[in-house]
Amino acid sequence: MKGDKILTRMGDGERVWMAIEQAREDVALGSQDAGKKGNIAELCAEDQERLLAILAEPGRIVSVSPGEEVVVTDDGAALILCSGSTDGGSGLAIDRQPAILAYERTFAPDTVSTGIHDYSFKPVKAIMSNERQAYASTVLLTTAPLFYGSQPNLGLYFQPDGPHPNPAELLPKGDVQGARQSQEEAAAHLTRDMVFVGESLYEMGCEGLNFDTAGSAGDADFYAALMAIEQLKMSAPNMAIEVGMAGEFVLGMHGQIVYRGERLAGMFPHQQVKMAEAAGADIFGPAVNVNTSRSFAWNLARAVTFVKATVEAAGIPVHANVGMGVCGVPMCVETPIDCVTRTTKALVQIGKIDGL
Amino acid sequence: MPLAHIMAAGMGGIRTSGDLVAWMQMRRKMRIAEAKRYVAKNLGIDLIDLTNEEVMYQLRQDLGIGVVTGVPGDPEGIVAKCRIAQLLGISINSVDRFVSSLSFLKGSQ
Amino acid sequence: MLSDDLIERANQTVLGFDTQGAVALVEELISSGGDLLELMDRAYIPAIGEIGERFSCGQVFLPELIQAANVMKAVTEMVSRALPKEATRPAGAKFVIGTVEGDIHDIGKTLVVTLLEVHGFTVYDLGRDVSSKRLIAKAVEVDAGIIGTSALLSTTMEKQKELVQALTKPEYKGRFKTMVGGAPVTRRWAERIGADGYGENAHEAVVKAKELSGP
Repeated sequence: MKGDKILTRMGDGERVWMAIEQAREDVALGSQDAGKKGNIAELCAEDQERLLAILAEPGRIVSVSPGEEVVVTDDGAALILCSGSTDGGSGLAIDRQPAILAYERTFAPDTVSTGIHDYSFKPVKAIMSNERQAYASTVLLTTAPLFYGSQPNLGLYFQPDGPHPNPAELLPKGDVQGARQSQEEAAAHLTRDMVFVGESLYEMGCEGLNFDTAGSAGDADFYAALMAIEQLKMSAPNMAIEVGMAGEFVLGMHGQIVYRGERLAGMFPHQQVKMAEAAGADIFGPAVNVNTSRSFAWNLARAVTFVKATVEAAGIPVHANVGMGVCGVPMCVETPIDCVTRTTKALVQIGKIDGL
Repeated sequence: MPLAHIMAAGMGGIRTSGDLVAWMQMRRKMRIAEAKRYVAKNLGIDLIDLTNEEVMYQLRQDLGIGVVTGVPGDPEGIVAKCRIAQLLGISINSVDRFVSSLSFLKGSQ
Repeated sequence: MLSDDLIERANQTVLGFDTQGAVALVEELISSGGDLLELMDRAYIPAIGEIGERFSCGQVFLPELIQAANVMKAVTEMVSRALPKEATRPAGAKFVIGTVEGDIHDIGKTLVVTLLEVHGFTVYDLGRDVSSKRLIAKAVEVDAGIIGTSALLSTTMEKQKELVQALTKPEYKGRFKTMVGGAPVTRRWAERIGADGYGENAHEAVVKAKELSGP
């Protein structure tokens, strides 16, 4: 603190000295925005003050108290040791397996994961035998649970990348029905591929499958993931399934897709978790978008409000997604640890998450 | 970035009991408080010691469930996971398949 | 001044995705010599803004958003044709726009295009995944005043920087103004890369474009 000002940041990572009263107001406004958009309860005055206290802590990094720790699962974090800058990676010239083992022993996360750098289910299908081999040999070496992660990424099923007519071309022509039908067919195709990949890995002893960034291509994308989870829970019952979301609400690219009687489009995290739970998922990861023009205080308050409502609604563990530009973490390639650790602390202490 | 999250709030992975608590979320959908209670009970320790490196390192070594440092000859990887499955009373896919691949050993000793 | 009833009816044509109704209403106003700009400012522009807001809250979905955009497109074309050009068009108001190379998101950019056209700009929309080279070539071809780019991904924002840098070559220097926008883009980013303007939303983009095109 300097006088009545705290050193904090904007949503794009810019460092700013902000008057404590301004930060207090931003916390209230951020929570209000989440409350209004998601039709959920805003943070109470006490929670808002706790959040403000976390923001105002003088230390460069902050942490939870002993006994408050939560599980940290990862979505491809081990791979950042060997992936490049566009994936936020260090670009070391090492292969996946040593990267995963180094991550397990030196970072000490609670789970580790593997996957391919393209990180979508569709390309995995084409190299399934290679992935089976890689998983089977790595799972013998890790002591921590080993997830396999991939994104549903329905976009890859539309022309020119896939066989189905592209809704982005059909919709501007006014062919709403055609666009919807194409998404339904692509979703069924995607479900088949995800089940194929999941079952193939299950035969290799797969301990956990992570459907990362589900819903990135909208409601049909999320639907495909839910259907795949349902089927895999029957054919691969000993494999844990985590589903992490792409954004704070399910984009209605189709608009009318229904799962278990509920329309998926427009669902916010506290509603999404109930769908994931109904499909049989074991862990749910909400994602809350970051507004780069607003302050970190505004963004974090908003994220905590959404996540808290999700945790309260959930019947399964909730692991908040906290990557770049998600759940309050500023949108910049090298995310600042002052914000990262404040996000973590606020989500644990106020959001009451089960993990990250 | 993952390191910052892990340091700020993580259970500590195989340094402490993070993998064990994670297993209970993965296999039994346990919320964090329940998972911690379950693991602490099965380890016979106080809740607060789940993330106490000084307690957990020795305990992990005694139980043969893998430690974060390199100890030649000590169980790690799939062997450690076999013991973890037994300790926690859960079924782990990789372990089940590994054990069944060793079924030919039954009765050989 | 147009009646509140007329404004409300016009507003409802966008919110109800009723292209026919909107066209009929604009025709009615053209026949009666009513103020078309007032109709745009009080009814259609706020209505498409409302649709955008509902979309961002997950209350309106993509098919509806596109239907509403189609209503706006029909109305914009009619109004543009009916208005005397010199009455609305700012000087140097040729605007070349595109979503940067490697990025295929264009919903926000399309809204900007619609609003720019409503406000009298001649817009050359090159679509999405457009290289800096193509944007510059088009700007040279039509002698544009402004080149605008949109980026939705933090990884594609760099292309906006690339464009601004390319325009520092002697043959282009000072010839075009640049504007940037998109979800991860900020005023600070615009300043950092040397862009002339930034719009947080479609409305702000138009205000800035007018300012840059001013005398």
